[in-house]
Amino acid sequence: MASHSKLSGIQKQVLALYRGFLRTARQKAPEDRRRIESVVSAEFHDNARNVDRRNFVYIEYLLRRGSKQLEQLKNPDMTGLATLEVKK
Amino acid sequence: MAAALRPAILRRIRLSPSPPLPLAAAAAGHHPNALARWLARPMSSHDAHLTRDEVVDRVLDVLKSHPKVDPSKVTPEAHFEKDLGLDSLDTVEVVMAIEEEFKLEIPDQEADKIDSLPLAIEYVANHPMAG
Repeated sequence: MASHSKLSGIQKQVLALYRGFLRTARQKAPEDRRRIESVVSAEFHDNARNVDRRNFVYIEYLLRRGSKQLEQLKNPDMTGLATLEVKK
Repeated sequence: MAAALRPAILRRIRLSPSPPLPLAAAAAGHHPNALARWLARPMSSHDAHLTRDEVVDRVLDVLKSHPKVDPSKVTPEAHFEKDLGLDSLDTVEVVMAIEEEFKLEIPDQEADKIDSLPLAIEYVANHPMAG
């Protein structure tokens, strides 16, 4: 991953989304929080390793998909992220 | 009747603290959920008044307990990426853990700039709400 001091716009969006998930996870019960953090962290790190960073179309698709999932997760009734576990 | 019983009942009620989370016990080792456990570890409670030494110590402790960090490499001068080998996602985790440790909310724009221990320590030490 590129040096932190020169984050690109799309990188900042990814990090903001990751931060959003971690912040939302904090609102959940400890067990749910741990599970969500584990799933989200694995997903982001996987994609960081495996997605070609020049593939903006795909990264933007992942950003949109992630934002939708985050919006759902913000609902206090949601305690998990079953859809995230479905592999691409 | 009920009114008469009330003091007697109140005298018997004891509020017990909520049971401790089973996190600390599981924190050691290379469990696949080590990261999630680390992120979810209980917040510490501290006095509102922070000395700089205390800020440094607690920031160092947060870094040392991240599953990807070699604790022996953590110094007050360390850079997250160059010295500790963290990537930008790990850095988000670390900065969020610092937020939680000091009960702060660091806005994204500020958080994106914190890429080393000196910057993290500086941010917390200068924050009026850090606790």
